[in-house]
Amino acid sequence: MLNYTSPIKEVKKYSGLTVSEISPLMKLNLRGKSRDFLTTIGQNINIILPLEANTSASSENYTAIWLSPDEWMLVSNRTVNKENNDYEIEKLLFNKISKTNLGSVTDVTDQLVMINLSGEKIFDLLSTGSPFNFNDFRFKKGSSTQTLLAQIDVIIHHNQINSVNLFVRRSFSEHLMSWINDSASRL
Amino acid sequence: MFLINCPYCGERDQSEFKAGGEAHIERPKQPTELSDDEWAEYLFMRKNIKGIQFERWNHAHGCRKWFNMIRDTSNDEIKLIYKMGEKPPKG
Repeated sequence: MLNYTSPIKEVKKYSGLTVSEISPLMKLNLRGKSRDFLTTIGQNINIILPLEANTSASSENYTAIWLSPDEWMLVSNRTVNKENNDYEIEKLLFNKISKTNLGSVTDVTDQLVMINLSGEKIFDLLSTGSPFNFNDFRFKKGSSTQTLLAQIDVIIHHNQINSVNLFVRRSFSEHLMSWINDSASRL
Repeated sequence: MFLINCPYCGERDQSEFKAGGEAHIERPKQPTELSDDEWAEYLFMRKNIKGIQFERWNHAHGCRKWFNMIRDTSNDEIKLIYKMGEKPPKG
């Protein structure tokens, strides 16, 4: 785990909306196309990677988010040990996937910040800054998308009813937080 | 603002995409045997017509995949979208 400062120091509360950063979480980027790649991942993490666009799949410990036809992001459901910079699952997958040329496994834990939004006004906030159409998204648990929010690249994952996880690049996280702060105050 | 139907992610706003120029330009088989003029023709010269144009587009802020689009440049009407590597329909 790198030494960095968090974009949000405390949990922020607005009317109908709560914003907090959840860290540290393990995030892995998985890329591959072949059937062997999919079965190897499935056997090792007990998740069948979602093949349908804009969806996700969860197990007890991990969530796999569809990013592109040959790209997924694997996120741990619970926070990990702060001092620990290596993850058993990454080592396992690296040996089974990257070393055998089935695909690639990249640790993006420190690249992305996960911001959790909860409350009934999440989609009011998101639609003020995103060109994405949330009409179907908001009623489908587990839906995910990559889009722009206030012109920043974000991955949005609808993990529970009235709860959404935003993944944003670390360098943009502070800027995005100040936008959320501004926009949420006018909801 | 118009909507583009990404072949992988579905309908998305135009602002998520980047245009990538004319599609179906083939690299010459024997580049060493070309004259400078012929090479410049391949490298720089693009049709840029008013009307139906074949283009490459990239879903830059989404799945980051490239695809082909047939677009009418005079009114931005999208005629057809098809994946990379697929042949354009005749006529």
